[in-house]
Amino acid sequence: MISVRGLSRSYQDGEASLRVLDGVSLDVAPGEWVAVVGASGSGKSTLLQIVGGLDVAYQGEVTVAGARLKDLNDRALSQLRNRDVGFVFQSFHLVPELSAVENVALPAFFSPSLGAEESRTRALEALSRVGMGSKADRTPARLSGGERQRVAIARALLMRPKILLCDEPTGNLDAATGEGIIALFQTLNQEGLTVLAVTHEERLSRVAGRVLAIDQGKLFEPGTPREAAR
Amino acid sequence: MRTSSLWRLTRLTLRRDRKGALLSAFGVAVGVGALVFFVGLGLGVGQVVRERVFPVDANLLEVVPPPVSLGGLLGGGKLDAATVQRLSALDGVARVYRKMNVRVPAATRYDGAFFGAHIRMGLEVLAVGVDPGLLEQDVVVGKFEDKGPGQPIPGVAATRLLEIYNKTFAPARNLPRLSAALLAGFTFPVDFNRSFIAATSGGPVIPTQVKLVGLSDRAPLAGVAIPLDTAIRLNQQTGQDAATFTGVTLVARDPAKIPALMAQVKEMGLSLDDTERRMSENAGLAVVLTTSALALLSVLICLLAAVNIAHALFSSVRARAKELGVLRAVGATRRDVQALILTEASVIGLFGGAVGTLGAVLISLGMDALSSRVLPPFPFKPDTFFRFPWPVWVGGLSLGLLASFGGALFPSRKAAATDPARTLAG
Repeated sequence: MISVRGLSRSYQDGEASLRVLDGVSLDVAPGEWVAVVGASGSGKSTLLQIVGGLDVAYQGEVTVAGARLKDLNDRALSQLRNRDVGFVFQSFHLVPELSAVENVALPAFFSPSLGAEESRTRALEALSRVGMGSKADRTPARLSGGERQRVAIARALLMRPKILLCDEPTGNLDAATGEGIIALFQTLNQEGLTVLAVTHEERLSRVAGRVLAIDQGKLFEPGTPREAAR
Repeated sequence: MRTSSLWRLTRLTLRRDRKGALLSAFGVAVGVGALVFFVGLGLGVGQVVRERVFPVDANLLEVVPPPVSLGGLLGGGKLDAATVQRLSALDGVARVYRKMNVRVPAATRYDGAFFGAHIRMGLEVLAVGVDPGLLEQDVVVGKFEDKGPGQPIPGVAATRLLEIYNKTFAPARNLPRLSAALLAGFTFPVDFNRSFIAATSGGPVIPTQVKLVGLSDRAPLAGVAIPLDTAIRLNQQTGQDAATFTGVTLVARDPAKIPALMAQVKEMGLSLDDTERRMSENAGLAVVLTTSALALLSVLICLLAAVNIAHALFSSVRARAKELGVLRAVGATRRDVQALILTEASVIGLFGGAVGTLGAVLISLGMDALSSRVLPPFPFKPDTFFRFPWPVWVGGLSLGLLASFGGALFPSRKAAATDPARTLAG
């Protein structure tokens, strides 16, 4: 489902070049749940953004849902993000003035096939799926942190994507709320959704099917000599 | 993104900052409103000038003998029957109407009833004989023809003269205001070859009565039009030139033929009396220039509104960076983001343009109502000073749209260039 080969990404910081990813390779099979753990600034969010087609200034090969990202123009990349990939962010990134159902329905505006009625129906379904059906008309300000993240997950699920990309999805939640979100991911994964989550939290990596570690731009299996050295 | 989706998303995003959108729309409305108001005022006043103050028939051309003519010594430059014949044969001429001034002074001394009042006055009268065909459409009582010596002479006065009488002369002297229908049939004495101020020919004084049979835009402003045969007869009786004409009105088949006709007339050694036309053009030009200056000021207001929209949208794009990043993450292309910002601005501009245009029309109605109550009557005072044909409405909306769209161009590019990876990080 996801194939990454020799992925490198550098940022220019004045005169200096900062290499965030350094020859990363990764394969994620359909229906698999992979957690990438690493400290802040280790490059895990950058990895996720590249796989999701948000960051295109990289070297290497990335294939997502059968599409080689380098071959896609802005329109095709946007279609991929709309149709095949769902994003869940640490800070939820909900539009504060819109209701939960309007936030969830946002991806439908960019779908060539979904009309207004169907979008709303699907958004309500997605909210029900994450246990937020009764709060569809509330704005984010009137929701708790866990509820906001559920709304964000519902938004990621609206277009029935193949892959869920999660960037620190429990980072802003307390332990109990975080557990609820993790349980939701487990359910979604069991239903066949491929999940790639990056986190620095152990509780999320504990339930993932496979855990990879990232450090100083390099990705490796835990238990390898490098991991042991950490 | 589909148009329907773009429209729905625009409504959704505009709803979230109604106050900001209304503020931007207000700026556009002020600029557009000012422009529509001044353009409407210019068109309205221009119409009054063209149609009432200096009514000029686009088909007519006034031919007069040249002021100084060597041709006269050589037999040319005179407006005699032969010349009129040549004029009527010119290409593009439909009809010719001859004119001949009564070449002796004339005066009226009136002492009697005047529509419920009593007046006593003496006036110099300029009588111009014209071919009846020129005025027959405006004659409402009897026929405009010479009835012979001793009979009242049919006369046609200028419509504008009645307007000036009603708005200045009558109120100042507490005289009744008159209509064209009331005046028809009014008869007053005129003595030809008599004057209060000028020397006469020394011939006999011819006392007559002039009976007004109508009012016309084609009658001389400072005088009265009488049948041509009457003018010829009076000139013969007083020993004046009764063979040459003081002017000829040419009616062109098509207004487009006028320039060519003018050239041909000049080639014949004759002159053109375009005083009325020039006065109309000059007055019209003055109106256009004044209106243009005010319209330019309004366009500047619109430009300021566009700058304000640009500024507001730049701030909005900065504040909405994360939201725009989310839109990109859920499938928006760069063009979708740009289209969203441009559509938001267009809606603001159209709304502002519509409010401004409607506001200008409403204010103009208020101004007309106020002027009818507050302003004293004056000649050619119109019922409305404004005119708003459909292109003005369309122009108002378009300007609002243009100002907003122009203002949104750079902010929309900036929005489209938003890097979602950067804005969504952390």
